Formats: sequence, C-alpha cells, structure tokens
Amino acid sequence: MTLERPSRAGVIALILGLVVTAALTLTALALYDRNETRLLKLSALELGSLLSAAVPTVQTPLASAAELADATGGDAQKFRAFMAPYVGTGRQFQSASLWRLDNAHPSPTAVIGAPPVLASLPQQARQFFGHTKGSSLLSVTGILGSSTPALGYLYTTPGVKNGFAAYAEGLLPKSRRSRIASGSGFSDLNYALYLGHSRSRADLLLTSLRQFPITGRQASDVVPFGDSAFTLVITPRESLGGAFFQSLPWIIAGVGVLLTLAAALVTDRLARRRRHAEQLAVDLDRVATENQRMYTQQRGIAQTLQHALLPDALPELEGVRVSAHYVPAASGIDVGGDWYDVVKVDDHGVLLLIGDVSGHGLRAAITMASLRHAALAYAVQDSAPATVLTKLSDFVDSGEHDYFATVLCALIDVQGHTVTVASAGHMAPLLIDGDDGRYVEFQVDVPIGVAREADYHEAVVRVPSYATLVAFTDGLVERRGEVLDVGLERLRDAATGTDLPLDELLSGLAHDLASAEHHDDTALVGIQWQN
Amino acid sequence: MAELEGEAGADVAVETRTDQAGATIVKLSGELDSANAGALDASLAPLTRDGSAQLIFDLSGLRFMDSAGIAVLLGVAAKVAVVRLRDPSPPVRRVIELTGLSAVLPIEL
Repeated sequence: MTLERPSRAGVIALILGLVVTAALTLTALALYDRNETRLLKLSALELGSLLSAAVPTVQTPLASAAELADATGGDAQKFRAFMAPYVGTGRQFQSASLWRLDNAHPSPTAVIGAPPVLASLPQQARQFFGHTKGSSLLSVTGILGSSTPALGYLYTTPGVKNGFAAYAEGLLPKSRRSRIASGSGFSDLNYALYLGHSRSRADLLLTSLRQFPITGRQASDVVPFGDSAFTLVITPRESLGGAFFQSLPWIIAGVGVLLTLAAALVTDRLARRRRHAEQLAVDLDRVATENQRMYTQQRGIAQTLQHALLPDALPELEGVRVSAHYVPAASGIDVGGDWYDVVKVDDHGVLLLIGDVSGHGLRAAITMASLRHAALAYAVQDSAPATVLTKLSDFVDSGEHDYFATVLCALIDVQGHTVTVASAGHMAPLLIDGDDGRYVEFQVDVPIGVAREADYHEAVVRVPSYATLVAFTDGLVERRGEVLDVGLERLRDAATGTDLPLDELLSGLAHDLASAEHHDDTALVGIQWQN
Repeated sequence: MAELEGEAGADVAVETRTDQAGATIVKLSGELDSANAGALDASLAPLTRDGSAQLIFDLSGLRFMDSAGIAVLLGVAAKVAVVRLRDPSPPVRRVIELTGLSAVLPIEL
C-alpha cells in the first residue's frame, strides 16, 4: 500500500469530528465539575449540621454543673458526683473542674479526672477568665499545651454575680489526625476542622489529611460553637458522583476520537474512490478520443488506398453511357475488397469487371489490387470473359493464399446489343428495360481461389434498345437475417420504372439500398445504351 | 456448445460431434456474418489441423449466412478432403447457389 495525500473530505471529517468530540468532552467535564462541587457543598452543609448537633453534648452538662455549683455554694463533692459520668477515657471530657469567678488568680476549687491543662498555664488562665467575665454561655479556650494538646470549654450561668464556672477539657490527638470511619456516609471525604474562623495550622483541631495546604476542589462551612466557631473544610477523596461519571468525559473523548478516526477513514476512502472514478472517467474519455482519432486516421488510409486502386476515369464510347459508384463500408476501419473496371477493348466493345475479395482491410485491398491488375493484363490478351476468369483462377491457384474472390466479367458489344457474361461466384447483373427488370440468367461458376482447374462458362445475352445493365457487389443486396432474394427483389423494384440519368440512378440505388448497418462496402457499375 | 459473440450482436453457436461413419459433424446455429465469421474460423481451426477425412456442416439451425460465412466454409473446404453441407435453410441455400459454390460445397440430398 502506498501512502497517498489524504483527501480534503477526509481531513475535514477528521477536524469536524475532533472539534465535536472536544466540545462534548469539555461539556461533560464542566457538568461533572459542577456536579462534584454541588455534591461537595451539600456534604459540607450536612457535616456542619451534624457538628452543630454536637454542641449541646458539651454545653448541657457544663451548664447544669454551673447551676448546681451556684446553688450549693460551690460544693465540690456534689460537683464531682454530677460530672463523673462525663469524664474519663472514651467520654466527652478528659477533665472537669469548678472555678470561682471572683478569684484574681483563677484556680480550680474542685477537679475530677486529669488535672486541667489550664491550671498549669496561669498566664493563659488569667486572660481567659478576664475575657469571659460577664459574658454568658459557653466560652472556648484556644488550643492549650503542646505535649498533650487540649481544648477547654467554660460555662458561666448568666446573671449570677460571684458565682462559679464549670470548666472541662477534651484532649486532642497530638498529630490532630483522625480518620472518618470507613463505613460512614462521609468516607469519601477528607476534612480539616479549625477552631475559630481562620484556617491556620495553629488552629487546626482535627484532620484526615496528611498534606497542607488543602488544594483542589473544596467546600467549607462555619458552625457557631459558644463564643467561638468551628470552620470545617472538606475535600473529596474520590469522585462523589461515582467512578463512571468521573470517567464519562474521557469515555466520550475516547469513543469520539475513535468514531472520528473511523469516519475520517471511511470518508477518505470514499473520496479517494470518487477521485479514482473521476480520474478513470477522464482517462476513458481521453482513450476514447484517441481511439476515435486513430480510427478516423486508419479508415482514412484504407479508403484512400482503395480509391487509389479504383479507376480514375471510365472510357467514353459512342452509343453507351458508362458510370460507376463506390460506397465505403458504413462503419469499421476495415474497407472491403470490392473493385470494378471498365476497359475499352476496341471501338465497339468494353470489358466490364466487378469483383469482391473475401475479408476486409489492407490485405483484402492488396489482394484486390493484384487480382485487378492480373485481370486487366489477361483481358488485353483475350477479352473473352470465360478465358479471363480461367486465367485468373490459374493465377490465384499458383500461389499460397487463404482468400477467395467473386468476379463478374462481361464483354459488351455496344453496336451488336449483346453482352457476353461469365461469373466466378458473383451475383448476376440486373438488366433494366423500362419498367421491366430481370437478373441475367446464366451459369455461375465457383469463385476464384476455391477450386483447382475450375471451368468457367460464358453466356451471350441480348440487350434491348435503351436498356441498362447494372452489375453490383453483395453489399447492395445483402442484409442480415434476410433471404438474398428479398434484397435482389428490392434492388429490382428500386431500379425499374425510373427515367433517371445513369449517374443519378446509381447514386440513388447506392444511397437507398446500401444499408447503414452493413459492414460491407458496395460497388455498382452501370452501362446504359443510348439507342 | 460455444457461443461466438460478434461485434454487432449477431451470434452463432457451434456444436461438434462425430457420427458412426467417422465423419465430423459441425452444427452451426444462429446467424453467421462478417461480424462473427472471424471468431468461427478461429474456433474451427483445430478441426482442420487434425485433418479429418470427412466433415459435414449441419446448417439446419443457421438462419442467415453472408459471403463472410461462405469464406469460412470455403476455408475449411480447402483443408479437408470432403466437405458437405447438410440441410441448409432456404436463405443459406440461396447464397450457396448464387455464388456457384454447389460444386465445391455440395449439399447432401
């Protein structure tokens, strides 16, 4: 297979297909992107509301403990008894403690669980209590400590002067890393939970991520928590809409490219075929034109040759008109081997020869030429028709040949009104006497070149006054699929009952009878008596 | 049976067999003219090469024959000792009579 320049249609199909594929892929990507973002936002809101629901689990025990302390005047025993179910490993708090609010140097008055981290940080404790004094509800410390980081929650009953504050601390994992359980509805998400509104590493409470900062698609929600807030940032671990929707744009791209390639190949092939077909049509047209030219040329050569072999002029004799007509074959480059001659024998007589060599083309024309010249030479020696034909037969017999020829030889005695006729397989001439026409009846012998030592017989026929003798070759009467007699009858009908001059009679017969479909050429010779 | 297609659409069919007497019988059917005579001549060449002593052309199925067809028959007659024609149709018989060929191509009685 040779590489050809791709067709324009193929390239256009390829480009169009790729553009459409790219557009579809981009649309699918955009839709996928929008869908993922929407799903992520929904997840953030959902997680945020879950987180909000967790606030009371911190606030309610501390609020109750603060009220109990206020009512009991800070009874440590009762405080510890109340808080015991909430404190310990695996429970809400790591540590719980009761603090008196009017203390300039705040310290716990009762403690349950681990010692509060805040108690070991007097500087921060002072700031925290100073900051929360007078405020109500739940206060949240910053992240306390570094070796065992913790988050502290403080609750003060609103409206109570010199009351107590219930304080609790929860431990944070040192690495802050905590995975979401794989069975949960959020297992396909990574998250980061910050204290407050910032997203700095220092405020990070918990995360399932290893790498910061968070890149890529993300959504966030802020959940109020006491006097502070939690900021939740989530990012998808995998496609939220499912693996199929994630790969859909690439499936579209892949299938699109494949289909485009197939369509481009098919288009290219069709376009090439069309181009080849068009080229073929052009080639055929050229060949046809060339053939037509050569045909015309060859036909011209053969016809020129044949015309050159036919006599230039016919003899003129007192008492008769002599005329001849030759019609080349209607089609084909082959010309036939028809010929005729009319030669003057003496002042009273002419010898008429008409013949047809079998076959067509240049060979037939050359054979015809040699027969014609031989016949003329024999006629000079002895113009008796049977003698001429016998000599011609011997002449042909002496050489190698694969053709035969029909020859009619007629010696015309103008003044004596007779015709002496002999035929070598040639059709008898038509004798026209006004409205009456008949074919001369005599013995037709074998064609020249068929039999060795053939005998030729001649007959003498009387010619009426003003009669016309027409000799012809078979092209005039032969039609495919027709008995020869029909053609002969047609000729007789056409030739009788007219008073046309001889020239016009012959050209009229040639025009009317030499059938257009016929492949054979036709010769006619006529002798018309003037008295 | 071979169909010989001429350029002008005429066709001639050729069927060859040998009879009890050892003569080769060539049955021609259809139309034989200048358009397909050449093809027929070529297809008969093997018969004349073998030099059969006796060859009979069965012309009962031949509707038409012109001088080109005569030339084919004469060509065969020149190479084979005895050639006869069997049962020619009237148009074909007439062509043979008019060309004086009864002596060379005798018609069986």
